[in-house]
Amino acid sequence: MKNLIAITIALPLATTTLACRKSEPPPATPAESAAPATTLPAPVSVSAVALGTAIGPDKRVTAAAESFGAKDTIYSSVETVGTGHARLRARWSFVKGDKTAKVDETTIELDAAGPAVNEFHISKPSGWPKGDYKLEVFLGDAETPAAVRTFKVS
Amino acid sequence: MTNPPDDKKDDDMPDFSDVKSGASSTAPGAEVFQTYEVKSGDSLSKIAKNFYGNGNAWKTIFDANTDILKDPNKIYPGQKLKIPPKIPPKL
Repeated sequence: MKNLIAITIALPLATTTLACRKSEPPPATPAESAAPATTLPAPVSVSAVALGTAIGPDKRVTAAAESFGAKDTIYSSVETVGTGHARLRARWSFVKGDKTAKVDETTIELDAAGPAVNEFHISKPSGWPKGDYKLEVFLGDAETPAAVRTFKVS
Repeated sequence: MTNPPDDKKDDDMPDFSDVKSGASSTAPGAEVFQTYEVKSGDSLSKIAKNFYGNGNAWKTIFDANTDILKDPNKIYPGQKLKIPPKIPPKL
């Protein structure tokens, strides 16, 4: 009889205990470690463009000018920042009213590991015609220039 | 490099066919080239003659443009070709 009483008491207790365990919230899982923030390298962009009659060994313009003589070699220094593969196009044009004539288009393809200085230059042995000119610098196949500089030959 | 004369010259505009150009970069391994848009009647030999003064240098242009040219005898108006710098003769 004692055994029967013990079972009668023990069974509901055990059931209650199990039921209580079931309703307990699951143990909190350890917070997943946040993925490290990946910083994508910035693509190459044009940071500065200068025009002049001479450049230094670092390819930066040393004698800035916006007006040139007929026999001058015209230099442009194009500084870029960012990393990766880039195609830098320099298009030189003569501007007369609403007409433009392409003087030259030269491209530099580079794999930049950081800031870079690029120089473009043009000369005309027979002398530059007087007038207005412009330099447009493009990145890749973009139709819109990343930078534009105007200058004169007088 | 020297620019080739344009086939269609605008009488109002000056002639820039004798313009010489160049470029360089502080980025190691940078590649410099001119861009030329193919006009009606062009051939690689003609373009090579205009840029390098030697029509036999057509292969230099072809080799630089194998991404868009499969046959050196087939070029089309509007194609933009890379024109590598003229390699100076070795002394």
